[in-house]
Amino acid sequence: MMEVRKSEIYRYLGYSKRKKIEITPEIDHLIDECIADLKKVITPATVYKRLPLKWLDEKTIEVGGMQVASTSLAKNLQGCHEVFLFGATIGIGVDRMIKRAELSKMAKAAIYQATGAEMVECVCDELNEQLRQDVAQEGLYLKPRFSPGYGGTPLSLQRDFERILHMSAIGISLTETCLMVPSKSVTAFIGITDQKTKSVSGCAACDQQDCPSRKE
Amino acid sequence: MALLDRLGKEWLFFDGGTGTILQDWGLAAGELPETWNIRHQDKIRTLARDYFAAGSDIVNANTFGANRLKYPDHLEEIVRNAIKLAKEGRHEARRDDDGYVALDLGPTGKLLEPLGDLPFEKAIEIYGEVVRYGASEGADVIVIETMTDAYEIKAAVLAAKENSNLPILVTVTFDEKGKLLTGASVETVVALLEGLGVNALGINCSLGPKQLMPIVQKMTELSSLPLIVNPNAGLPKSVNGKNVYDMHEDEFASLMGEMANLPVQALGGCCGTTPLYIRKEIEEVRKHPFPYPTKKHHTYVTSFSTAVEIGTKPRIIGERINPTGKKKFKEALKNHDINYILSQGLAQEDAGADILDVNVGLPEIDEAATLVEVVKELQSVTGLPLQIDTGNVEAIEKAMRVYNGKCMLNSVNGKRETMEAIFPIVKKYGAVVVALLLDEDGIPDNADKRIEIAKKIYATADEYGISHDDIVFDGLAMTVSSDPQSALVTLETIRRIRDELHGHSILGVSNISFGLPERSILNANFFTMAMQNGLSCAIVNPNTKSMMDSYRAFNALMNYDTNFTDYITAYANVEKPVVKATTTMSLYEAIKRGMAQNAAEATRDGLKNKDGLTLINEELIPALDEVGQGFEKGTLFLPQLLMSAEAAKAAFGVVKESMAGEAREVKGRIILATVKGDIHDIGKNIVKVMLENYGFDIIDLGRDVPPEVIVDTAIKENIKLVGLSALMTTTVVSMEETIRQLREKKPDTLVCVGGAVMNQDYADEIGADAYCKDAMATVHYANKVFGIEE
Repeated sequence: MMEVRKSEIYRYLGYSKRKKIEITPEIDHLIDECIADLKKVITPATVYKRLPLKWLDEKTIEVGGMQVASTSLAKNLQGCHEVFLFGATIGIGVDRMIKRAELSKMAKAAIYQATGAEMVECVCDELNEQLRQDVAQEGLYLKPRFSPGYGGTPLSLQRDFERILHMSAIGISLTETCLMVPSKSVTAFIGITDQKTKSVSGCAACDQQDCPSRKE
Repeated sequence: MALLDRLGKEWLFFDGGTGTILQDWGLAAGELPETWNIRHQDKIRTLARDYFAAGSDIVNANTFGANRLKYPDHLEEIVRNAIKLAKEGRHEARRDDDGYVALDLGPTGKLLEPLGDLPFEKAIEIYGEVVRYGASEGADVIVIETMTDAYEIKAAVLAAKENSNLPILVTVTFDEKGKLLTGASVETVVALLEGLGVNALGINCSLGPKQLMPIVQKMTELSSLPLIVNPNAGLPKSVNGKNVYDMHEDEFASLMGEMANLPVQALGGCCGTTPLYIRKEIEEVRKHPFPYPTKKHHTYVTSFSTAVEIGTKPRIIGERINPTGKKKFKEALKNHDINYILSQGLAQEDAGADILDVNVGLPEIDEAATLVEVVKELQSVTGLPLQIDTGNVEAIEKAMRVYNGKCMLNSVNGKRETMEAIFPIVKKYGAVVVALLLDEDGIPDNADKRIEIAKKIYATADEYGISHDDIVFDGLAMTVSSDPQSALVTLETIRRIRDELHGHSILGVSNISFGLPERSILNANFFTMAMQNGLSCAIVNPNTKSMMDSYRAFNALMNYDTNFTDYITAYANVEKPVVKATTTMSLYEAIKRGMAQNAAEATRDGLKNKDGLTLINEELIPALDEVGQGFEKGTLFLPQLLMSAEAAKAAFGVVKESMAGEAREVKGRIILATVKGDIHDIGKNIVKVMLENYGFDIIDLGRDVPPEVIVDTAIKENIKLVGLSALMTTTVVSMEETIRQLREKKPDTLVCVGGAVMNQDYADEIGADAYCKDAMATVHYANKVFGIEE
C-alpha cells in the first residue's frame, strides 16, 4: 500500500492549519503508534468490473442492470459510455481495533478511525491509478470516482454493487440499512471517457457544503 | 454405495467451476446464477451431466448462493430444481450408482454479529431452510464451500447437522497468507471443523494449485480427516476487471497429481476449471497410490482467528473474569457493567494470557444468559480463545453454541452423571475439556487414584467418540496448609499424566497457598515445580508479576522462548515515557496534557494534603474546562480532548478508591444510544466519555438500538435526557421514529441528537430538543437540562 499521509489523518481528526492547534509530541507519537498498529491488522482488497454504460435520459444511467437517476452522477459521468465499478476495503481487523480501543483508550479509537479512513483512501487511490494506466493504453481517461451516497444518490445502490461485484468475496458485506462492514470500505463508479477533461475531483466536485470532512 | 463408505478409502473427485462456465454460457454481470435453475434448466442439467461424465464423483447442485436473503420469493423452487437437474444430469451420464449430488452451501454474503448485523441463530435458520429443501429433494451430501468466516462455517455446519443426516464436507477459502477473511488461521479452521465433527475438510477457490500447496501441506499435518482440494485454474488475471483463469488443463492436472501426494484424498477444481480439466486431473491423480488419512495428535483451543496449542509449552489461562472473592466484579455483574468485565479480559491479554477463563456464576443473575452475552462481547474485542467455566449444563450448551471457534470447557469430572450430561454437548460443538480428577467418592488423596479416574474419563470419552487429545486433566491443586502432602500428590499426578497417559494437565495454581502468608512466594515456586513436572495449562492471574516472572523464566530456560523474545520484551528496559512520571507535575498540568499516569500519581500525592472533592473542584474540573474550551475554540483537537478525558478518568479513579465509593454525587442520568440500523457508534462513545467526566451517569444502550428499547428504558429508569446518534441519512429515519415514540410514551424526556449527517435544521425537522455538534456541546446541553451552572 502507498504511504499513509499523516496530514490526512490530522485533517480527519479535526486538525486545521487555520486554527492554532499545538500538536504535542505525545499526540504525534500516539498517531505513529496507531498507524503501526493498524498496519499489522489491515488486509487490503479490491474488486472491480468494467461495464458498458447506458444512458436512459440525460440524468439516468443504467449499468449492470442498475438504474440511477441522479443529476450529480450524470454530471460526473458526462460523456462516458463505459464505467468501472469497484469495491475496496482494508478489512475487519480495524473495526476490532477500534472497538477494543473504545474500552481502553478512547483517543486511540478516534485515531484508528481517522487512520483507517486514510488507509482505505490510499487503497482506492492505488487502484484508481492502476485503472488510469490501464485505460491510458487505449487512449482513454478516467473521471473522478463517485460513491453511492454522494450527491443525494441512494445508499441502496450498494445492493447493486454487491450483486454485480460480489463484494462479499473480498469481505465487504452490507447491513440491512446498506452500511458496509468492514466500516473502512469504499465503493464507487469511475467513468471512462475519451475526452481529456480538466475535471474537478474530491471535495470540490461534491455539493455537500456542510460535510464534516470537507477539505478547505 | 454410500459416500461415507468410500470417503477416505479411495480417490474421490469433485466437479470444477460453475460460475465461470455459466458466464461463458451467457450469465450477465450481476445476474444471479441460481435463477438459471428456473430459466435455463437445460444448461444446468448439461453442466451436471458433463461433470459426472468427466468422472466427477461429487457434483454440486447449483445452490451455492441460494438462500432466503438473495431469493426471498422462489427459494424452495430454486433449491429443489437444482437438485432435480443435477440428478437428471447424473442419470444422463449413467452415474446413478456411483455419483453423488451435493447440496452446495456458500457464504450468506452477510457478516455475522457482533461485527456485522446477522444474528448467529438467524444464520443457522437461513442455512437450515436450504438444507431441508435439499435433503428432502434427495441430495446425497452437503458441501459447504468457499467459506471465509469461521463463525458462518459453524452456523452452516450446525444447520446441516440439525436439519439432515447427510454427510457434511467443508472447504474454505484462504488468502495467500493462509488466513480466512475474518482472520482464522489454518489451525483454527481445522480445529473448528474437526470439533464440529464434519466428515471431510479442505480448501477450494482461493488460489491456484501451486500457491495452495504450502497451505494444503499444513492442513495435512494438522488434520486426521480426509482432505479435499478444489483450486482455481491458476491465479486470476484481471482483464478489464473480469477475472480470467488461464492455466492450461495439462499443467493443472500435473500439479494436482503433485497435490494428491501431499497427501490429499479428494480433488476437483473451482473457478476456471471445466469438465476437461477434471478428466485430465483424474487421469493424473489415479497414477498415484491412494494415501489413507492418518490420525494426528494436536490439541488446539481457538477463537475466531487464533489457535493456541496445548502441549507444546505451558499456557497461561487468565482467571480474573470470575466473581469469586471479587466485590467489584460481583457489582459489575449485578449492574450489567459488561465493559468492566471486558476490560478485565483486555488487561489479562496485555499481561500475557493465552486463554481467558470466563466464569460469571452468581446466584442472583441468569447465568446462562449472562455467560452468552459475555462470551459474545469478549469475542468482539479479543482474539484470545476462551475457557467457558461453569457447571451449569444449560449455560454450557448455550455458551458453546454461540462461541466462535473451538473453546475450552471447564469442566467435567469422573462422575458418570456429569460426563453423561456434558460429553454429548462437547461432541456436538467440539471443545477441549478440562476434566477434574475426582468422582463419586470425592477427591482422592493420592496420585494412584487420581490417575485411575483419569483413565476412567478417557474410557468414557471413547464411548462418546471424543478424542483423548481434547481432554485436559485437572490434577487438583489443594491447599497445602491443610494437608502437607497435597503439593506432592498434585505434582506426582501431573507428572504421571504426562509420562503414563501422554495427556495434558491443568491446575488452578494459587489454590495451593490458602491460609499462608505471602502467598505469592508459594504460588510462584509451586508454579515452576508444576511446569517442571509437565503442567500444560496454568489458571493464574497474569497480572501478578511473580507468576509471570516464573513463567517467562521457565520458558526461557526450557528453550520454549525462541530467541528469548518474550523474556527480553518483558524485561529489557522498556522505552521510558516522554515525560517521567514524577510527582512534580501537578494534577492540573497532567490533565491538560492528557497524561493519565501522571494524573493518577498527582492525585495520590495531592490526597496527602487535600481531600478528594477539593482536588476535583480546584484542579481536575478547571483543567477539564480549559481543555474543553480549547477544543471549542479550536486551539486543540479531538485526540487531545480525549487524552485529557482519560487522564481525568484516571484521577477520578484514584479519588474514588480513597473515598471507598462514589467520588462525587451524580449530576443526572442520561441514556445514550446509536439508533436502529446504524452500527457506527464511535461518536456516541466519545460523548459518553466526556459526559462521565463531568459527573453524569450514562446508560449506554449501544448501537443498532430499536426505538422500543430506548423508550422502555427511559420509562423504567425515569430518564430526563436521551442522546441519540446516527451517522447516515438512511438511519436518521430511526432517530425520528425514536423521538416520535418517546413523545408519545414519555413526553417529559428531552432528546438531543448528533452525528455526521446532523445539523440544526435536520434536528428541528425530526423534532429533537437540541442538536449537539460535538461532545462538549452535549456536556453544555446536559448541564443546562439538569440545571447545573457552568
